[in-house]
Amino acid sequence: MNRTDAALQLSWQALAKTYSTRPVYDQLAGELHRGEVLAVRGPNGAGKSTFLRLLCGLERPTAGTIAYQWQGQTYNPNTMRPWIGFVGPDVALYRELSALEHLQFLAKARGLAADQAYWRELLAQVGLAGREHERVAHFSSGMALRLKYAIALLAKPPILLLDEPTAMFDEHGRQLVAQLVEQQRQHGLTVLATNDERDAAWADLVLTVGAAARG
Amino acid sequence: MLATTFKWFTGIWLGLVAVAMFLWVPAHEGLGNVGRIVIMHVPTGWLTSVAFLFSAIYSWRYLRHGRARDDALALAAAELGLIFSVLATVTGAIFAKVVWGTYWNWDPRETAIAALMLIYAAYFALRTSIEDRQRQRYLGSIYALLAFVAVPFLIFVIPRVTDDTLHPNCAILNTPNCQGIELTENGRIIGTVEDFKVELLGIEQQADLTVATVSIVSNGTNYTLKPSFNRASNKPETIERLPETLRDVQIKRLVGEPGNQTVEIAIANTGNIGLLTEQRTLLTFFASLFGFTLLFFWLWWLRADVLDINEQLVQQGITI
Amino acid sequence: MAKPVFWQAAWAVAYKDLQIELRTRYALNAMALFAVTTAVMVSFRLGPLGLSRDPRSAATLAVLLWIAIFFAAMNGLSRTFVREEEAHTATLLRLNVPALAVYLGKLGVNLLILALLETLVTLLFIGLLNVTIANVGLFLVTLSLGGLALAGATTILATLVAKADGKGSLFTILAFPLVLPLLIIAVETTELALSGGTWAAAGSGLQLLAAYTIAEHVAALWLFERVWEA
Repeated sequence: MNRTDAALQLSWQALAKTYSTRPVYDQLAGELHRGEVLAVRGPNGAGKSTFLRLLCGLERPTAGTIAYQWQGQTYNPNTMRPWIGFVGPDVALYRELSALEHLQFLAKARGLAADQAYWRELLAQVGLAGREHERVAHFSSGMALRLKYAIALLAKPPILLLDEPTAMFDEHGRQLVAQLVEQQRQHGLTVLATNDERDAAWADLVLTVGAAARG
Repeated sequence: MLATTFKWFTGIWLGLVAVAMFLWVPAHEGLGNVGRIVIMHVPTGWLTSVAFLFSAIYSWRYLRHGRARDDALALAAAELGLIFSVLATVTGAIFAKVVWGTYWNWDPRETAIAALMLIYAAYFALRTSIEDRQRQRYLGSIYALLAFVAVPFLIFVIPRVTDDTLHPNCAILNTPNCQGIELTENGRIIGTVEDFKVELLGIEQQADLTVATVSIVSNGTNYTLKPSFNRASNKPETIERLPETLRDVQIKRLVGEPGNQTVEIAIANTGNIGLLTEQRTLLTFFASLFGFTLLFFWLWWLRADVLDINEQLVQQGITI
Repeated sequence: MAKPVFWQAAWAVAYKDLQIELRTRYALNAMALFAVTTAVMVSFRLGPLGLSRDPRSAATLAVLLWIAIFFAAMNGLSRTFVREEEAHTATLLRLNVPALAVYLGKLGVNLLILALLETLVTLLFIGLLNVTIANVGLFLVTLSLGGLALAGATTILATLVAKADGKGSLFTILAFPLVLPLLIIAVETTELALSGGTWAAAGSGLQLLAAYTIAEHVAALWLFERVWEA
């Protein structure tokens, strides 16, 4: 791992988000580096998911900036997308396509090599071995979430954004996520949005949102 | 202070225009009292297009800078555009019913204004179907721009639908082609006089008379008329009335030898006076154009301010 | 991102949409049914005998042909985007595929669907209404250019409608005034083609249609990313 490759930083400054009448938060600032895991916490409706959506440009902040430093260059949330893996209830899957077809489509769309063996390995890693050709319409919510993890990891992204990472999971699934988060420390950073104490325990840093807006 | 002066000035000005329109302007010799309507009809029609242009410009500015004020101006312009297009259509329809016997005829300009009304209606339908205000502005602006790209094509396309217009250009401004047109047996045999398409079908000699057979399209119908010219007295002989109009068709002049003759076909609007060639009418017309333009800008800013205030109230959680 | 990757992404989107469309056949069924219904209804009263005696039959047929194409297209063309928004899969696309690649992929699918629709409508009209096409070349060029223009104007509107809340009838309402110029020329040129008009007579109409097509495509490419990320 060379020095420039090691340089990975996510920073947000003076961040504010307002939904037409309701201010969600104001003046958020902070930064995150390679190997770190941040947990975003707060009550329902406090804007945990919104924070993650801001980080990958699915929504625009009302004020403030978000910047990524990666391999010696600066990116905004939109231009950073090729290096972001996102898992969350906002991302739905195509009911008509199989697990393998999802990976096939997204690999091609992202300009990655067509590597059947790697896709199968990835599906096996998230516990979908033997279900590769089944259509998502027949998946349980837990299985769909597993496929979302496989999709997020497809490009081995340095940034992992996990919204309610274990909401659909049993204990076995939870261990899988714990393992993935630990792995991610090796080559990138992770942001979790969660209300679950056990998930939050994986984090080095905690950002609590929503308190200001309530006052 | 300035705003109040502007408001009063506009109000008094338009009041004077309205009075002048009915009391000072003489009735049109060809069109009668209904000719007065042009004083309202033309300015409202013109402002419909102006509103469309402003709506597109401010939509573009909104997309560039994201300021709510720009969108308020775009929306206000579109609303006024719709109001003015209704005014122009209603006044036009009254005029059309009296003069041509139909309220609506898919005349090119009628088609154009109908298309603009459809666009405005679609624009409002789109905006009301979106709840999120930010997205409402954003998508509304984009639609306004897409419409703005498509509309100029209508200008080229619509004349293809029908090649004749009922709009009395010559009743408004008397230009050279309102007087007559020269058609030659073996040369140019087709042309327009006033707003009628005229085609020379043939020329016959009968003793001292030269009889031209011309086909004229009027009100969507093809009429064949035979005006004649007396070569001995060098004057028009038979003058033909164009059915269902106030217009007379005659050969005004004859040049050349049989076999290669040029006739000047004139369509006289009994008295052939342009509406606006009458001085008082012209003056009132321009005063009206000016007054309506002032009214447009005043209402435009007023409406945009109201939209702004409304937006601020919504921001504070108050709804009216 | 490098160019070949971009086209590959567009192709991936198109391929994925075709895969899904072939499995659900939602758009294709809706459009085909509409086309068949229209053609059958028209042929009841204006069948081979009724219409062929009428000297204005070319004009009537040209109008009916484009009514069938336009309304059938309105039934199906918005599906690709509305489906993404309704099933919330649009987020997956936004995160993984460059906006312009999404647009070009969807445009490609819409063009293919329109080509199929136009073929079907033409065959139905020939079969049920005994239409003879005097200038086949001109007819094909008009349909191709008309389809290209229709797809250019409506694909971005489909994105817009998908983002709005009242999706059902809104698409047709928004599309009609925008495609009015295209429909007017297409009807005129189709009439010429049916009645054996020359290329020279159709020339200015086709030029205008081409200019309209280019303008709509440029505007759509320019505005798409703004709609998509809205």
